[in-house]
Amino acid sequence: MKKIAALLLALVLTLSVAACGVVEQTQEIMENIAVEDELTVEAVSAYPVTVTDQMGREVTIEGYPETLVSGYYISSSALIALGQEDKLVGIEAKADKRPIYSLAAPELIELPSVGTAKEFDLEGCIALEPDLVILPQKLKDAAATMEELGIDVLLVDPENGELLTEMIELFGVALDCRPAAEDLITAMESIEEATMEALLSSSLPTVYLAGNSSFLSTAPNGMYQSDLIAQAGGVNVAAEIEDAYWVEVSYEQVLEWDPEFIILASDASYTVADVYDDPALAGCTAVENGDVYQMPSDIEAWDSPVPGGVLGAAWIATVLHPELVSAEDFAQLSRDFYETFYGLDYEA
Amino acid sequence: MKLKSSIYITAMALAVMAVVSLFVGKYPLTLPGLLAGHEMQLKVFFRLRLSRTVLGVLGGVCLGVAGFVYQTVFRNPLASPDIIGVASGASAGAAAGILFLSGAAAVTAASFAGALLAVILALSLAALDKTGKSGTIVLSGIAVHALAQTLLMGLKLTADPEKELASIEYWIMGSLNGVAVERIFPNALLCLVCLAVLFLLHRQIVLLSVGEEEAQMLGVSVTALRLAVLLTATLMVAAVVSLTGLISFVGLLAPHGARLLTKRDHRGTMALSGLLGGVLLCFADILARSVAATELPVSIFTSLIGAPFLVWLIVRRETRA
Repeated sequence: MKKIAALLLALVLTLSVAACGVVEQTQEIMENIAVEDELTVEAVSAYPVTVTDQMGREVTIEGYPETLVSGYYISSSALIALGQEDKLVGIEAKADKRPIYSLAAPELIELPSVGTAKEFDLEGCIALEPDLVILPQKLKDAAATMEELGIDVLLVDPENGELLTEMIELFGVALDCRPAAEDLITAMESIEEATMEALLSSSLPTVYLAGNSSFLSTAPNGMYQSDLIAQAGGVNVAAEIEDAYWVEVSYEQVLEWDPEFIILASDASYTVADVYDDPALAGCTAVENGDVYQMPSDIEAWDSPVPGGVLGAAWIATVLHPELVSAEDFAQLSRDFYETFYGLDYEA
Repeated sequence: MKLKSSIYITAMALAVMAVVSLFVGKYPLTLPGLLAGHEMQLKVFFRLRLSRTVLGVLGGVCLGVAGFVYQTVFRNPLASPDIIGVASGASAGAAAGILFLSGAAAVTAASFAGALLAVILALSLAALDKTGKSGTIVLSGIAVHALAQTLLMGLKLTADPEKELASIEYWIMGSLNGVAVERIFPNALLCLVCLAVLFLLHRQIVLLSVGEEEAQMLGVSVTALRLAVLLTATLMVAAVVSLTGLISFVGLLAPHGARLLTKRDHRGTMALSGLLGGVLLCFADILARSVAATELPVSIFTSLIGAPFLVWLIVRRETRA
């Protein structure tokens, strides 16, 4: 039922915009955003402002936050997209491993690290004396400690598209950047619409998504990556498995599924060539037809719910349905998005 | 039960397990399909199913025999190859391989090297004690184990949680999944050689168990023999776990089972221990690949069967006393 509803919705949406083409429309939206941003003088909302974070905690922010710490790469990326990167005084560990920082905000790499969700540097974070700290929900204990010390903490949980939008809206209010947040959400929605063309395809090819740690780990139903495949007009072969995190399968399981496409996660520790060379996979349709691809990772991991993650589904659509979502259109979408929100200069 | 009939029955059980193992899995195989030469079925059978079954049988036999050797030499029912650091050495080696090398074969090599290094270190530390007591080997094994665990922790700390850390954790839980047929050959050959050596030395191994002084009197060079036997058994275990990751309880459980069935310590018991190990690992692997939609770590099942058995063993001993 759900699938039929999604298809109908996609049909209606696409028919309504078919006249001018989704890609053009998206471009237009983003151009408008660029113009608007220059004109908008940010309205100062009345502080103190009380917000409810993604763990349902009520947080009252007394004054306009001048300094921020972000302990999660997804919130950090969203902060750049919202033009808040100059306020950051501390950032999650391994910032130098994320190309988006060196491309869009190289100064972030030099910032003190507050560690990861597993090894959070509580004292180091407190020592930075930030006005507001943004942490993933795993660090709720650290958040409680900091609150006792009088430091405001927002816990975020951007684990899928919906929650990501919710987080961006939360930042809009808490950091007083509502217009930027609205623009970002609009742009993300328009890219999603462009991708929906893929859903109109009469055939939905089967896809095996191979995980970061090994080829035999895959994304089950309930994982963000599995949703991406559905959004791009494909059928995740591992969707029959119900789980929320990477699961391990066997070669014979992959051969039994016999997917038409194999897509490797952005940060896979092995290559497309490794998959073609694997004797255990010979005879699999995707390998025979040369349909093994790896998600690009030169800007951001598009298989994670960062704001640019909407491009992940669009990229998969170019692989599965090149006749509906062309590579050129996708390149344009991606370029516009990163130019508008991250200030990347593609000419250079 | 008579030794011969126990061996006969266990060998039959192992053969049944092996056949079941050949026909249980996610890719549907049928006898008519195989006979008719269905290309994909043949490929799955020879490349994936057969190699996995060989690994299950041979790996289990090796772990069972090695466990028997350790328990006999140390005269301790809780002794296993783990006590001289082979498991933790293999884990640290595998973790280093996952972090700094690429490819499954490289990880196997690194893990094998790690296990060997740990054992050589433990045995040379023990050699520093001139009295030549078997207790010294245990103590130096504990020291090496702790050292390897520290190294492993350090490596895990630097690993990326999404990628390498996940691989390391999964490796430590053990699995017979995805071991390529090419990687099995050299290790299997080594295992067979080690098994042959241990069976040739069976009489001496049993003599070691009667006590060091008695063995000395019977004309056995205790220290040298113990070293040779332990090294051979360990080499065999390293060859198995470097392919599969850690497999818990098989080495501990199989010798106990064998002694329960025969109540004697001799060559037949060693063979029976190996057969039981094979049955246990094969059975655990069949469960690991079939009870869920995904592949589960094999150690979950070896432990699930092993832990209650151990408890039963302890309770049984107490009620007898």
